Amino acid sequence: MRIFLMTILLVAMLSPATTFAKDFGQGLTLTEETAISSIIDNPEAYVGKKVKVSGLVIDVCSTRGCWVYLAGDRDFEKIRIKVTDGEIVSPMEARGKKATVEGVVESMELTREDVIKRRKHHAEETGTSFDPATVTSGETVLRIRGLGAEISGL
Amino acid sequence: MKWRRWNYVLHRDIGFLCIGLTLLYAISGVAVNHISQWNPSYRVERVETNIGPVLGNPSDAETVRTILARLNEQGKLESSYRPDRHSLQLFVEGRSIMIDLTSGHVVHDRAIPRPGLREMNFLHLNHPKKAWTWLADLYAVALAFLAISGLFMIRRKTLRRGLVLTGVGILLPLLFLIVYL
Repeated sequence: MRIFLMTILLVAMLSPATTFAKDFGQGLTLTEETAISSIIDNPEAYVGKKVKVSGLVIDVCSTRGCWVYLAGDRDFEKIRIKVTDGEIVSPMEARGKKATVEGVVESMELTREDVIKRRKHHAEETGTSFDPATVTSGETVLRIRGLGAEISGL
Repeated sequence: MKWRRWNYVLHRDIGFLCIGLTLLYAISGVAVNHISQWNPSYRVERVETNIGPVLGNPSDAETVRTILARLNEQGKLESSYRPDRHSLQLFVEGRSIMIDLTSGHVVHDRAIPRPGLREMNFLHLNHPKKAWTWLADLYAVALAFLAISGLFMIRRKTLRRGLVLTGVGILLPLLFLIVYL
């Protein structure tokens, strides 16, 4: 009996981890996909609503895996997907892979001080430099509170 | 067999079963506890270099090939992104290569998994979900059983010490709740 249980335990532990690694959080439930450009162009129509978006993962939080940036469907555009720390931890291998994410669109009004604080934190996380003098005013930040995701190619 | 004997046998055998998982959760627990100070699953290696100004359309395959050749990059290009008009980000086998097209400055990021720890954190944080969730739940039930069955293994001569230490173990989290909550 013990040997049998030990075998099951070992098999479970040694199974290739990547076979399960595609789904994150609550998974995907919506059928219709929204273009990231539509959300950026018309945020009022989406704030507070649950959407499904897809795009290339261009950056991942390197400390906690608590956010990713998805590239938009147009050049030079991206949107931040923020997840609750610990609930979903995005792997760094996701960079360069295509992801489909479901979540609620949020809009935040930030003061100049908030922007400096966030960019400083982001610079620390990504190991890049940041000059607070480059921030001259507050800004509105659009993001998606990620609830579930599927990343292909992991 | 008397119940005390059953209690002993089950405590011993379930204890054996839990050794691997306990070590896994303990090691990963310490690693994840300090997540604000380090990434417990990856080490990020960053190399900066300069390949000189890049001419040509960055969306053009030939331009990308030229960049990769200047970088002496042998890996397979997976995807690319234009963050702005002056930059190009390339993804090569899980690595990110950010190129400033005007200056030629390149930031090459590579996330290197921490061997063993990444896998342990993967399980501890229940990334596999599915069957692993059930196994982790079973493990939690087994731990609860070990804690309770252990109480019935206290011998008369160590009863006082056993009760005191059990009490301390229960009071410690309560104390932290009083202080921090």
